Amino acid sequence: MNAFAPGLPTPQVTSQEKALGRATYAGDLKIAGMLHAKLLRSPHAHARILNVDVSRAIALPGVRAVFTGDDVPQRAWGVKHKQQHVLAREVVRFVGEEIAAVVAIDEDTAEEALDLIRVEYEPLPALIDPSQALEPNAVKVHPGGNLADEIGIVRGDVDSAFAEADIVHEETYTTHSQYPGYMEPMATLATTDGSGKLTVWTATQSVFLARQRLAEALDRPVSTVRVVQPTVGGGFGGKIIEERSSVIAGFLAAATDRPVRLCLSRIDDMLSGAFSVPMKIRLKMGMTRDGRITAKDVSIRADCGAYAGLAPEVMLVTAMRSDNMQRLEHTRSHAQLVYTHTMPRGAFRGFGGTQMAFALNSHLTAMADLAGIDPIELHRQNAIRTGDLSIHGWKIGSCGLPECLNQIEGAIGWTEKRSRPKQRGVLRRGIGMAAAMHVSGNRTMGNWDGSTIVLKVNEDGRVVVLTSEADVGQGSNTMLSQICAHELGVPLSHVSVQTPDTDFTPYCLGSIASRVTINAGKAMIKAAREARETILAAAAEKLGCDAIDLTIEDGVVQSTSNANHFAKLPDICRYHIFRHGGEGIHIKATHDPDTVMMDGDHYGNIAPAYSFAAQAVEVEVDTETGQVRLIESWLSDDCGKAINPLAVHGQSNGAAVQAIGWTLCEELQFEEGRLMNGNLADYTMPTADSVPEMHSSIVESMDPNGPLGAKGASETAILPGAPAIANAVFDAIGVRITDLPITPEKILAAIAAQKEKRDA
Amino acid sequence: MRDFHYLEPRTVSEATAMLADHGEEACVFAGGTALILALRQRMMAPGVLVSLGQLEEMRAIRFDPKEGLLIGAMARHNDIARSKIVRQHYPVVAEMAGGLANPQVRNQATIGGNLCYADPSTDPPACLLALGAELTIKGQHGARRIPMDEFNVDYFTVAMEPGEILTQIRLPPPDQEVTTFYRRHLRTPAEHRPVANLALAVRNRGGAFEDVRLIVGAATPAPQLLDGVQDYLSGRSVTAEVAAEAADRAAEEMFPISDGRGDEGFRRQVVRALTRRLVAEAANLDWKETE
Ligand SMILES: Cc1cc2nc3c(=O)[nH]c(=O)nc-3n(C[C@H](O)[C@H](O)[C@H](O)COP(=O)(O)OP(=O)(O)OC[C@H]3O[C@@H](n4cnc5c(N)ncnc54)[C@H](O)[C@@H]3O)c2cc1C
Repeated sequence: MNAFAPGLPTPQVTSQEKALGRATYAGDLKIAGMLHAKLLRSPHAHARILNVDVSRAIALPGVRAVFTGDDVPQRAWGVKHKQQHVLAREVVRFVGEEIAAVVAIDEDTAEEALDLIRVEYEPLPALIDPSQALEPNAVKVHPGGNLADEIGIVRGDVDSAFAEADIVHEETYTTHSQYPGYMEPMATLATTDGSGKLTVWTATQSVFLARQRLAEALDRPVSTVRVVQPTVGGGFGGKIIEERSSVIAGFLAAATDRPVRLCLSRIDDMLSGAFSVPMKIRLKMGMTRDGRITAKDVSIRADCGAYAGLAPEVMLVTAMRSDNMQRLEHTRSHAQLVYTHTMPRGAFRGFGGTQMAFALNSHLTAMADLAGIDPIELHRQNAIRTGDLSIHGWKIGSCGLPECLNQIEGAIGWTEKRSRPKQRGVLRRGIGMAAAMHVSGNRTMGNWDGSTIVLKVNEDGRVVVLTSEADVGQGSNTMLSQICAHELGVPLSHVSVQTPDTDFTPYCLGSIASRVTINAGKAMIKAAREARETILAAAAEKLGCDAIDLTIEDGVVQSTSNANHFAKLPDICRYHIFRHGGEGIHIKATHDPDTVMMDGDHYGNIAPAYSFAAQAVEVEVDTETGQVRLIESWLSDDCGKAINPLAVHGQSNGAAVQAIGWTLCEELQFEEGRLMNGNLADYTMPTADSVPEMHSSIVESMDPNGPLGAKGASETAILPGAPAIANAVFDAIGVRITDLPITPEKILAAIAAQKEKRDA
Repeated sequence: MRDFHYLEPRTVSEATAMLADHGEEACVFAGGTALILALRQRMMAPGVLVSLGQLEEMRAIRFDPKEGLLIGAMARHNDIARSKIVRQHYPVVAEMAGGLANPQVRNQATIGGNLCYADPSTDPPACLLALGAELTIKGQHGARRIPMDEFNVDYFTVAMEPGEILTQIRLPPPDQEVTTFYRRHLRTPAEHRPVANLALAVRNRGGAFEDVRLIVGAATPAPQLLDGVQDYLSGRSVTAEVAAEAADRAAEEMFPISDGRGDEGFRRQVVRALTRRLVAEAANLDWKETE
């Protein structure tokens, strides 16, 4: 039996090279003649560029070229909204927007040259506050106005359902933007070859989406661009297609016809966005006395900053995804996405789910209190179940939510802790919980959500896997290796997953929407099984027996009926090559899940499976300093079959910590659109000693559509953290914080207000 | 970051001579944790860095019954935290040094660099001030000693002349009747730097406080001696009410800074909480109970 078979904890196949410092990130790459780029950013939130004088910068020894908005293609790029250029042209729309680029022999020279560029701006009034965006006389961010997107979804008869409710509760929640905080700031090396072809090594979650965008932004045919993914130090949604530096690097290499390296410093990385989308969510829900949710009415105002990017898709998730977690019949959602003169916001782990999870779970705990029901019980009672069709047409093939709820309830000692007397001292403890769901895959592009694996078995029986699904640290290469090794009957170390490269690896969408395990995993099974059949057929031919009787184990082909019929895998692989005119075992397998695109009314089963999670936490609130400390955290993730439980725990705990950061520690401080704490000393992400031991458990609901029953893990796990903490804070001190982050100041103010009310 | 020359003197006098030679171009380099950041952000661009890294004598930590505890300015925070000598004579200093920043910074940054840089959101100044520290400063023309009270002038400003080196921190021999308490507060557990800290030294004579020294740090531009609260507490036997009153007075008396880590009101509130807790603790009262 393979020690790293699917289901067994398996160290990441990439861990050795990382631990040895041998993994090669984009910033490590060097090419002879390589130049270095630095970017000049706008100090204004909104201004017209009157003149850019680069003469002194160009004159600096060592500077090779300086580019401005006048030099870049006129064609605008974007996701749906085509509104960005490689460098800002004529107008800047946020502090930090790139207006010029210097290419020099080293970074210091390029940096020095930035100081020599003279830009004349005409500062214009800026729209910073999203609540002003749709006012009739608001400053316009784009000529078409400030409404970037609008969504309306109505199901059932919401008004009648409210009329029938015994309890109606309404509240407004606000959420703030979070920096993805990956270890590796954006880095790119780009170069052209003698034929003019552009090759770009960049930190990306998707080489093909990156290529598509480079082709668009640089206004050149797709096939004249090659994108390669080196080792990537985390993405969390920030490295899909909204970051801009890889586009700038590609442009600079093409324009200078030289290799150009563009690595953002941490400050640069933080100035350029795109962080998560801040939202204001008004939520109204109706419930019967015994805890059945009857009606839900949501209205959302989201701020995408200066450019829309993926924010419309993010907002759609906020507007409807969580509805599918419960058995609802009447819901209404209205969401508006507005522009402001602030940095672009967009995709972030959870993809719009965290914002709504905060509102919904805060709300449900408040309503459970109103009804006198335990919140876990309320979740259990309303939870969608395996086999259900949800209100938006999602087919729930597996749902482990009830088991997740059971697990966290038992683990934290929920019943016992809830029944303890309310604390009166300076330090008060409280518990809270939340639950959430997420997609595993999402059919949004080209009516396709498939994945293709190319598998090559070498003449020594070892395997090379070609895929363009990106391992950005989450462990997909390990998952693919485990499945491949298991299906083929070879040791894990005999499988190697190659790096995504648009010229060599098959077309894939990459690491987005928790789609890789469920879709690429399926393709991997298909490819490995086909390879196995090919090998067994060749073996049967060579050994003169029936393929049906043969198996492969530990690299040996063995007959189950005749012990004398066996051969080593390399012998069979060589045999195959020679008997097929030099053709090795070269398999291509594709899997496209049986899903649909949403229809015009946002209805339809978009994902092959759905994941669920629940979390319970205990906090301690210091009532004199407002500090909230986590005491315990238990997270349960229904990810279907955990192909690599070690990785799932890592993802669950990492996600839970990222949620703690969003809720309690991280806060981007802006002054007039200018980021004031763009460094990791002042933008404080959670550290190892700031969190308690993180506990996670797994529910294996075994989805019929998943490879070996697996679904996506890791995005779901970030969703319940914030509301679980907010609910625990409420339990501890009796005040509910509805706007994130939960800062010491807000806690102190809430306690003061509570005291004032009591004393009045 | 601009290119610079990196010099490694072998003696303190060689170091001061180098500093004198290069004048304004030169800058002392200790652990580099603050300096490298400043260089990278191009807040400073010295042409010459004079490293104190080879001056082993400046790392030493000694105790002399007459002089007291002598800490070389090049001692790293973790050297101090782990030193048997410090833990024996001034456990509060060892604890303070072992609890600041994070392990990486404690292993690299020096106490001298910490004091000379005079970033307000740091730990040692308030603690050392409560203990009556005295600093030895050497220049090209000799050495001088100044009390810690006179050292911190303002944000990032200390009473040192260009070309001078802080070589040693001296804490007088401990007075067995005086107990010193130190506590820092982080805005959130994920912060490294304190939003406020407080040091309290008292002689507890049968329940009554005497010789009170109360210093607030990190929340003020430079560590601030809270004379008013000291006077209030002197001679008093401390009850929960007295601790609460002292806390209110401390919050009132301090001159808080206001920045991204906390505004004025928040800093006052934190100092109020710290004062109440520390004073109660010094009087063996439980600060966790209220109402
Ligand atoms: C992430 C982080 C967290 C931190 N958190 C804390 C915290 O919680 N509490 C805290 O107290 N501090 C904290 N610090 C500050 C840290 O303690 C200081 O950076 C450090 O003490 C500076 O010491 P250094 O040896 O690295 O000095 P350097 O960076 O080498 O020098 C700093 C400055 O002092 C001058 N200098 C250094 N030594 C001498 C000397 N002997 N004589 C004359 N001039 C000298 C240098 O010229 C330079 O201007 C933190 C720092 C970081 C980076």
